[in-house]
Amino acid sequence: MNKPLLTVAFAIAICGLDNAATPGSLPLLSIVSPAQAASKLGDLTPFMTIAVDTAGLVDKGDLPGAKIRVKDLETKWDGAEAGLKPRDASEWHKLDKAIDKVLQALRAAPPDTVACKSALGDLLAMFNSAMKA
Amino acid sequence: MSQTLSTDTMLNKVPEVAVIFWIIKIMSTTVGETGADYLAVNVGLGTAVTAAIMVSCLAVALSIQLMSRRYMPCIYWLTVVLVSVVGTQITDALTDKLNVSLYVSTAAFAVALAATFAVWHAVEHTLSIHTIVTHRRESFYWLAILFTFALGTAAGDLATEALGLGFRYGVVVFSGLIAMIGLAYYLGANTVLTFWLAYILTRPLGASLGDLLSQSQDYGGIGVGTLSTSLAFLAVIVALVAWVTFQRPHVSTAVLTIF
Repeated sequence: MNKPLLTVAFAIAICGLDNAATPGSLPLLSIVSPAQAASKLGDLTPFMTIAVDTAGLVDKGDLPGAKIRVKDLETKWDGAEAGLKPRDASEWHKLDKAIDKVLQALRAAPPDTVACKSALGDLLAMFNSAMKA
Repeated sequence: MSQTLSTDTMLNKVPEVAVIFWIIKIMSTTVGETGADYLAVNVGLGTAVTAAIMVSCLAVALSIQLMSRRYMPCIYWLTVVLVSVVGTQITDALTDKLNVSLYVSTAAFAVALAATFAVWHAVEHTLSIHTIVTHRRESFYWLAILFTFALGTAAGDLATEALGLGFRYGVVVFSGLIAMIGLAYYLGANTVLTFWLAYILTRPLGASLGDLLSQSQDYGGIGVGTLSTSLAFLAVIVALVAWVTFQRPHVSTAVLTIF
């Protein structure tokens, strides 16, 4: 039972090492230091663009359109979790909660324009501060 | 002639069945997690509805598994995939909905798993996975598996949160740990202990491996995409389970021959 297990584990380790050894690989264990935390998530522009789009639709009064557009943000953010979260888990959680609030506001029955604007405003501010440093 | 042929086939394929066990186990972890995530986010059912669906499916699969008189690979592995999903959902619900610290949930699931083994051993006087021949033993077996998935999820997430361990080094670290356990087994470590430790660690390994394939190259992944990765893994699982099912008569004969 354990000899084959060893083989499988070894084969997988080789695959992982091969990939991890490519240029630009992440540090082995990146302990978060507060000073550099803000920029550690990297480029958040693709997410921010969707949030800006969504906010634009809310401003125009198109709440159903905003609800459809924000789904792209949910899908994209969820899909990038494994890539982003290890870079800075605490910052990731803050943004994740802010996105949750936006989703809740836009999916409320019926959605409240003021609540949507406020949630999106908070999220955009958070994206900005995360991108700045 | 046919006797000789089938003997050759048996001798070569008995250990390969064990390799297949670990490959299916690792891949089913990935498929289970991404499948549930796909229903919750992409299909838009939400985590609560998805959890209800998965628990119902598990109840049905586990009932069939418990009621059947013999090992049927497709039901067994379907149950493993669904236990994987539900075990992950239990940990996620604790972390995301109830804000339970991962340190607490990791410790709690480790204690729950240890308690399961303690009661199992006290009642049955064995933890052998080769003699799961009664309903009671099988119930202990599946309860232990549920806790290994919950523990594996919590411990893997804790490694990500507390240490910033991403999937690339996750693949290396978790497979390295499993290789060490395999080595410990060779040096005479307890068979039952090494099996279950490896079983726990294949959960975060499967998750890291799935992420490595599916995540975009911007994040250090290979960029195959979540859906393609899951479908590819699912295809491999279905093929391997079909193969195991097809090979069963040979394996049984081989085991009888050895004994």
